[in-house]
Amino acid sequence: MTFDPADAPAEYPPELSRLPPGRHGLPRDFVVHNQRERLIAGLAEAVAEKGYGGTTIADITRHAAVSRRTFYEHFDGKDECFVAAFDTVTEQLRERVEEAYQAEDDWADGIRAGIAAMLAFLSSEPNLARLGIVEALVAGPVVVERYDAAVQTFLPYLEAGRDGRPKKVLDRLSDSTEEALVGGMVSLISRRIVAGQTDELESLLPDLVEFTLAPYVGNDEAARIARA
Amino acid sequence: MARGYRAVTVADIVRRAGIARNTFYDNFSSKEDCFLATQDYAVEESLARVVEAAAEADGWEACTVAGLGAFLKYVSDEPALARTCIVEALSAGEAAQERYEQSLQAFVPLLRKGREFSDHGDDLPDTLEETIVGGIFWVIYQRIVLGEAERIESLLPDLVDFALTPYIGAESAQRATARL
Repeated sequence: MTFDPADAPAEYPPELSRLPPGRHGLPRDFVVHNQRERLIAGLAEAVAEKGYGGTTIADITRHAAVSRRTFYEHFDGKDECFVAAFDTVTEQLRERVEEAYQAEDDWADGIRAGIAAMLAFLSSEPNLARLGIVEALVAGPVVVERYDAAVQTFLPYLEAGRDGRPKKVLDRLSDSTEEALVGGMVSLISRRIVAGQTDELESLLPDLVEFTLAPYVGNDEAARIARA
Repeated sequence: MARGYRAVTVADIVRRAGIARNTFYDNFSSKEDCFLATQDYAVEESLARVVEAAAEADGWEACTVAGLGAFLKYVSDEPALARTCIVEALSAGEAAQERYEQSLQAFVPLLRKGREFSDHGDDLPDTLEETIVGGIFWVIYQRIVLGEAERIESLLPDLVDFALTPYIGAESAQRATARL
């Protein structure tokens, strides 16, 4: 353990807990896990500052306040650390969305709650948002594949909206409806992050709710729910 | 672009093009420079086809159908160029990403005109066109990644329905796609 609390940066993303300073007598598993989380947070900070291409191992260890040796105990290199960071972001995002969605009885309310949870998470974690939604695409084929797969995991929430709809609605929905809806949503969010408007993401809620519900409940009902 | 942007070297490019390395550097300063020129070429050409097709159609609905149809046809005729612009552009650096975003934006005014023909045009979400175009590109992206670019034209009715419904409602959109 080479961590010196004096070198610690002032702030960590609140999602990623910080190791208390001093001799703590914490179990090794916890320390190891915590180092890993710190490295992931360090990478997110470094990438937010310099982009994926410009980020070095030295940047990551400086932000994480751990030694280079510790870095290599956890990861083979920058790519592997990025993949771990990406997986952390998508996992957290999925957890938030799942929890919000499940808390509602009605499908449309669940979708609204899920989108709200997604936007709240991304706007409260700008570094992680940038890493997961923008930088992931430049981080090589392994991450791009995970990115595509992560987007796909949100399709079933929308697909559930088909249940119990009249035949004329179901006939109109195509195999690619959910893909287009989720893709459109991700594309808009990504554009706003690139434009430096991550802190305003939550204002997109009504638009995104209306956009995603309309194919299932119709334009008018979607607008009503979105603006309620 | 069979190997993806990151893995491609200038040596790969000159071998495939059957030209000398010197000739490459007479024309381009780097791999990125060459990529951007390819992207510019393909974006310009595909948009020209869209505009041409839309100009021949009468009315907003028909224009949208014709424009989208021309775009899908371009993707299926030119799978390598389409891959460059729609898949690889996303991971080929900031300049390429910016051009990609601009090419998406080119479709926004075409769609936005639909508000004039909608009985609730003023109430539609501000971001509607961006999400529709983003959604269409995502579907196309997925098909290209899955190696299905050649069959992409079969998506036309679904994508037309997706694009028109918010403006003119499900039933009118369905009438428009029924003619395809």
